[in-house]
Amino acid sequence: MIRRRPFTALFLLIVLLLLALAWQNRVHLRAFPGIIGAYSAKEYCSCRYVMDNPADYCLAYVKQYVPLSGFFDEPDSKRVTARGLGSTQSAQWLSPRQGCQLLPQASPLPER
Amino acid sequence: MSVSLQRRLTRLLAHIVVAGLVWPSLAVAEAWPTTDWPRAKIAGSPALDALDAYAFPDRDDATRGGVRTNALLVIRDGVVVYERYAGPTQADTPHLTWSASKSIMATVLGVAYGEGRFKLDAPVAQYYPPFARHPGVKIGHLLNWASGLDWQEDYEYAPLKSSVVAMLYTRGRADMAAFAAAHDAAAAPGQRFRYSSGDSNVLSAALKGMVGADVYGDYPWKALFEPIGITSAVWETDAAGTFVGSSYAYLTARDLARIGLLMQREGRWQDRQLLPKAWIDFNRSPFANYQPLPGSRGGAVPGGQWWLNAAVGAAPKPWPDAPGDTFAALGHWGQGLYVLPEEKLVVVRYADDRDGSFRHNELLKRVTAAFADEVQP
Repeated sequence: MIRRRPFTALFLLIVLLLLALAWQNRVHLRAFPGIIGAYSAKEYCSCRYVMDNPADYCLAYVKQYVPLSGFFDEPDSKRVTARGLGSTQSAQWLSPRQGCQLLPQASPLPER
Repeated sequence: MSVSLQRRLTRLLAHIVVAGLVWPSLAVAEAWPTTDWPRAKIAGSPALDALDAYAFPDRDDATRGGVRTNALLVIRDGVVVYERYAGPTQADTPHLTWSASKSIMATVLGVAYGEGRFKLDAPVAQYYPPFARHPGVKIGHLLNWASGLDWQEDYEYAPLKSSVVAMLYTRGRADMAAFAAAHDAAAAPGQRFRYSSGDSNVLSAALKGMVGADVYGDYPWKALFEPIGITSAVWETDAAGTFVGSSYAYLTARDLARIGLLMQREGRWQDRQLLPKAWIDFNRSPFANYQPLPGSRGGAVPGGQWWLNAAVGAAPKPWPDAPGDTFAALGHWGQGLYVLPEEKLVVVRYADDRDGSFRHNELLKRVTAAFADEVQP
């Protein structure tokens, strides 16, 4: 098999190695998609409602290389929801001393 | 009149004049901020222009490149001598301090230390039971970032395995100290320095055990902020109610400078010794087993949750143009509180530096050139 199909064999070996690597890092990989949504929701919330910066400034402030696929700021309740890499996350402003905190459950993004 | 008598009279007269100049300034009360800071008008100078040019170049919001200072405040012996804001930041903006929060938490802990609520050589588990799985780690080890835990402190460049990103945003966010405590040991406690936001959040959780859960939520305000007149502080917590001591304290530049003045005056606020002198000596002592390596916070030397401009072993001081007794609270993207005790200077810098081109040494060189001249002997 290796002699008859050297490239296929090499490709399969690489796939196997990647799978092994992914299994070894499964805890990190499972958490990874949540980073962009959580970072954006939390740091926007603090930028806007703790530091009291303008909304457009805060949007630029949290911008990363990975784009957001959804973003929703609810000024009345001071809740911010962001979606990136398929994961939706929300942060909530709590009080003047405690500022913002990520919520265990994200709010749904409004239908577009 | 003989020449010698004339000379003696002249000398006496000179003494009286000098005494007249010196005594009133000794008698004048030390300057302290009350609701606002005292200010002095400083004449323009080339040195001041050079500081402005370095800290406030034209701001590039498209690429976010270069030095991007949001606030720069210089206090000389308790008096504001320079204050400038840029970007969206104003005098009343409680700005995120990022990792300078660690030194603020250390200052809160210093008050608790003075109240006899903990000992440096006590096991962390005594105040924070989940650390029972690391029985050899003591409070002093955490303060030196030397717990020995297998922690990965990387931000946006290595997000997959970064312990700090996971702690703040994903797996650790519900209980950051517990997330840190769940890390395995990679070295014996106290043997090696490894910068860790996990160590700092375990300290924050240990404070809860030291002062009691019922007063913990108010403790930073009652112990530190209110006694020194800080009114702008915001300190975010995780879902377990533990202050994010590693990252999430917010203060105005003027309020952060109050902590700087407290440190500059060795823990004394007016006539009250708020922090024991021994505590500040510990903050300002290099971690005993520190091996200088390039690339840690511009090479600054770790003390007790503060960064030192100390020459360690054969390595030169990390900021060659700043005094050797300079120490600082430093945070991500350029946040800094610098204390220069000999020059009686306190410097607060808030920023949004994204490309790492900012240099502490360059800032401090220009600040001392502009403001430290009068205290030179």
